[in-house]
Amino acid sequence: MEKNTARVRVYSSFGILVLLVGTAVYAQDEGASSSTPESTVETSADSTPTTTSANADSDSTSSGRGFFRGLMPEFDFTFSGFIRPETALSTRNADDPDNERGNVYDGVAITRHPGDPLTGYGSALPALNALPAPVLNTILAASPGVNGQIPLTNTVTRPIAPSNNVFNYHILRAELELGMKFTSDLSLTARLRAIGDPGDYSDFNAGSVAGLQGGIQGGLPEIYGGAPNLFQYHVQGDKHPNPLEIAGPNYMVYFPALFLDYNHGPLDVRLGNQQIAWGQAIFFRVLDVPDGLDLRRHSILDYASEEFSDKRVPAPALRVNYQINDDIIADGYVQKFQPTVLGNPNTTYNLVPDQFTIQDMYHTDGDDKWNKLSYGLRLRGTFGQFGAQLIAVRRYNPDGVFRWTATNVNKNLPSVNSDGSVNELGAAENGLNNGVTPNPLDPTGEIGTTGQLLAQSAFEASPGGVYSADEWFHYAARVRLDGIRGLNKGITDFPSTGPLLAMPAANFAAAHNELDTFFTAAGGSLRGHVAREYFQETNLGGGVSYITEGEPGSILDQLIINLEATYTPGRVFTSPDLGKDFLKQDNLVAALVMEKYQRFSQSFPATYMVLQYMHRTKDDLLGRSLQGYGGRDTYSDDATTATPGLKGGSNYVVFAFQQPFPNLVWRADFAMLFDPQGGILMQPAVRWKPNGSYTVEAFYNYLNGRLYGNPNNNVISTFDYANEVTVRFSYQF
Amino acid sequence: MHIKKFDFNYGRRALLEKTLKGAAGAGVLAPLWPLIANGADTTKAYPDELTSIEMYTKGKVKVGDVLTSANVDAVKDLLDPIAYHQVKEMGRKITIIAPTKDASKLFQAPYLEATLRNKGKAKFDADGNIVNSADGKPWIGGNPFPDAKTGNEAISNLTLSWGRHDFSIYAIRDWDIAPTGETAYQYDFVWAELNATARTGKDGPYLPGKNDILRYQSVWFTSPQDTAGTSFLNTWYYDQRKFPDLIGYLPAFRRVRTFPANQRFEPLVSGVTIFLSDAWAAGDPMLTWGDYKIVERKPHLGSISQNWYGGRNANWEKPVHGGPKGQTFFDSSVELIPEVLVLEAEPTGYPRAPVGKKRVYIDVRNSMFVAYITFDRRGEMWKSFEPAFGQYIDGNTVMKDKAGNPIWSWTHVMTHDIQSNRMSRIVQAKEVTGGYKSAYDDGGQDVYSKYLTNQAIQRLGVG
Repeated sequence: MEKNTARVRVYSSFGILVLLVGTAVYAQDEGASSSTPESTVETSADSTPTTTSANADSDSTSSGRGFFRGLMPEFDFTFSGFIRPETALSTRNADDPDNERGNVYDGVAITRHPGDPLTGYGSALPALNALPAPVLNTILAASPGVNGQIPLTNTVTRPIAPSNNVFNYHILRAELELGMKFTSDLSLTARLRAIGDPGDYSDFNAGSVAGLQGGIQGGLPEIYGGAPNLFQYHVQGDKHPNPLEIAGPNYMVYFPALFLDYNHGPLDVRLGNQQIAWGQAIFFRVLDVPDGLDLRRHSILDYASEEFSDKRVPAPALRVNYQINDDIIADGYVQKFQPTVLGNPNTTYNLVPDQFTIQDMYHTDGDDKWNKLSYGLRLRGTFGQFGAQLIAVRRYNPDGVFRWTATNVNKNLPSVNSDGSVNELGAAENGLNNGVTPNPLDPTGEIGTTGQLLAQSAFEASPGGVYSADEWFHYAARVRLDGIRGLNKGITDFPSTGPLLAMPAANFAAAHNELDTFFTAAGGSLRGHVAREYFQETNLGGGVSYITEGEPGSILDQLIINLEATYTPGRVFTSPDLGKDFLKQDNLVAALVMEKYQRFSQSFPATYMVLQYMHRTKDDLLGRSLQGYGGRDTYSDDATTATPGLKGGSNYVVFAFQQPFPNLVWRADFAMLFDPQGGILMQPAVRWKPNGSYTVEAFYNYLNGRLYGNPNNNVISTFDYANEVTVRFSYQF
Repeated sequence: MHIKKFDFNYGRRALLEKTLKGAAGAGVLAPLWPLIANGADTTKAYPDELTSIEMYTKGKVKVGDVLTSANVDAVKDLLDPIAYHQVKEMGRKITIIAPTKDASKLFQAPYLEATLRNKGKAKFDADGNIVNSADGKPWIGGNPFPDAKTGNEAISNLTLSWGRHDFSIYAIRDWDIAPTGETAYQYDFVWAELNATARTGKDGPYLPGKNDILRYQSVWFTSPQDTAGTSFLNTWYYDQRKFPDLIGYLPAFRRVRTFPANQRFEPLVSGVTIFLSDAWAAGDPMLTWGDYKIVERKPHLGSISQNWYGGRNANWEKPVHGGPKGQTFFDSSVELIPEVLVLEAEPTGYPRAPVGKKRVYIDVRNSMFVAYITFDRRGEMWKSFEPAFGQYIDGNTVMKDKAGNPIWSWTHVMTHDIQSNRMSRIVQAKEVTGGYKSAYDDGGQDVYSKYLTNQAIQRLGVG
């Protein structure tokens, strides 16, 4: 049934394309014969005007005519496009640490110290014969193969081979654009984008761990069950959350734009799938709140000079612009809510550690309904050297938030490890929770198997998860979560963990022991399940701009200064403990932007420079709460929280310039993002456009999140594996 | 038998004397403008050698001839240096046609009427701006100084009304020729300009409530794909000391953003040698330049008629020739203009501009430029901006305005960067990609809203 539905969608999309192209081709004929409506062309009756050949190099008039002009004198169409291979080569000997084969613990032996549940995991279990609890001891002693003398401290090595991909990214992109003008007031724009990636990376494949712990069972099989799915965006219960997008694991085809535009006088109405961008700031999204971002493909590491042109998620929308007077324009929209699209697990630029399984509730919570709308209004005015704009937006935050969620994976803890050895702790848990008799250590008297209990918890005993407490704390800090409180919320939000002898840890030492206990009991690792949900919020923002007048030619002449800010009361954030009670905080995002074109030489065109400063009071550039900042790999034994947070807000500085060469055949670019907490991204780039058909672009991304201080206090460390050179070769037609 | 009234060099000597005197009007044998006002033959204002190419060249070149490297030396001083170089060295050919004697053919009719109606009413105010001397308000239409005697008067005529229509929209097809002679880039773009003051129409000289604005001007690219959508809107203040407001839409950014207006010497897109500053030889507010002076009055060969191909090509495009690949130059026709002003000016308001000086050749009859040269800061010749104008009459095909007057406009421009040997040549086409057509009045549409507002730029950008 699913296949049939997908096939229908594919046919439908190609049908639309064929119809559009076919219409355009049918409309085409040679030459222009009609007069403009404003003027008349007269040819006397006895004349025989001849039509000479135009320029020898004239390719076409590109104008649609023929039958449609008979119906609509203004009818016209344009058809254009380009194809572009894009390749990124890694210059760093590491893959994304959020991926299975880039995990920093791959191949590293780690000692685990299971703890004693009867002491609140405050002490490690030295050996089975030292167990203080007679019931547990008895159960364990009765396990086959257990002689009561085996130390429980154990050593684990992530059973996944690390990889070191040379190619981070290699795709072929094609875009077709069709513009159809029906009247001087009504037009249609259709842009179709197709991307294919042959894959062939040294990828993780879930099948490679199918023999361990029973394999990975949770999550959408097409996302978590095999090789990385490069392009498909699926959520729980819906394989097509993005309208007008068809995708497979190695390709995607969609319409970034497909809309009708109606203009009459000062009124402009645009209806259809479209992207909306607001604000003067580049890269820093302050007033640019209407659309989420599509982080598949090259994530945010693309050519900086293109900003988010490839990233904004198009949404079906109605946008109305009205030029109130010479100075003021009103710009309003209402659109179907479309979330930010994250890169899938184990894709090159994936941002979410693959030890997590994401259950996206976009469909399940009904947020994909057509009545779930985001809408907003902007007023923008220019008054000579001054400019101002105000926005008010009610939207679903497209980035979404995460919390622990039940796995729904009913798989018992293994009593026997994958290597055939006895899993004492797993056996003990299975003994306590055999599904037949009450758990003697559980005061609730609940009866269930460990699989049934785990299905109601956030943890799945499957490979490719977290194997040790060391790994847990490292990755919690990496994704700006609190490893201690996160563990505790994973327990207190899920009562079924009680019979499994899980309990909130009093401090770091206990949490460490408890985590090692359950990783050991799981026979390897636990995968954590998180739900992604979306909440409405109100964004109130404004901006002012001023163009300076200084000594002609001086650095202070024609400097464009722009200040933008957006205030969001009660924004919902992912809590650093991943609890179901999300964090709610008022958030202010502000940016100061200064732009300048300056001539430094007579021979070269002006250099474009932009300096931007951003301050965010409660979150980072990725929208993560600053309360989750500051985590480390280890803490003092009595620590009760793992994230001190980042006080005073986050700050970022961008400096970028573009230096065109004469005639714009060559252009050198540079962009830098600096996080004062110790991170930097630098992107030098060069663009060569030797003629109208071909363009070559090359850029190098240098990222370093370890300049100084704790890397988990800056945003760059999240990406700093991705040092790479990207080359793009475009041919347009 | 042709009887010469004066010796052969009389005309040129008289023009030289006028230049040296500094403040003389147009005409040698008689003042030119009374003849124009009376609809008389303007050649009566000049001796024969300034109205006949055959006499001027002592028979070496005559009407109907084609200038080539073989005969161009005979007219070397009638061409700007770059045009001479093109013919002499690059295989360019230019057809000589008979001179225009009826000055009304050098204007759009309403503009000439306004020029004559308002003659003598213009003056400079204390700030250097042109005002109606009766009330001190902005100019009321037509050339403010039809018989320009100073550099500032000459540049005023070029600046206040570029296209000599209150509103015009030009569908432009551009070819950019590499030094190898091959077409490296080809663009389609549209240029719209709307005068808010100095208007010539029936509704009065000013758009309501816009006395502080001289014009709105927008440009947007429609082809090829990677450039389509790039669009800019210039809002020119009437006060010529102020830079225009400039906003633009770049497809990558998907939104309209503010741009600085003082960078006017930059190519807009790859390969194009035309800068904003080059538009109409008066692309910048006139008081942001300075040291205007008329350095010469002379005869000149200019493309001022018979360059429209509306009867020969459905899209008004033109044959090409010359250069290494036979496609560097448009075919064009020139005629002898008895008197041009040679105006020079320096970009005093742009201390970092790569241009050190511009030289503009202006036909004294319609005060429109017929050639324009820029020099770099070293004083080396840099670019030529060679336009062609004329009534839109081609054989029996005539394009008329609503009143039945033939359309007068520019037909093509060739901009040659002589230092890099890159040529941009543009033609005013009937229609370009996107279905945009050239037009010379608003056609009853709200063209301001459609093409010349912030909202319009957003829409034309098509994001």
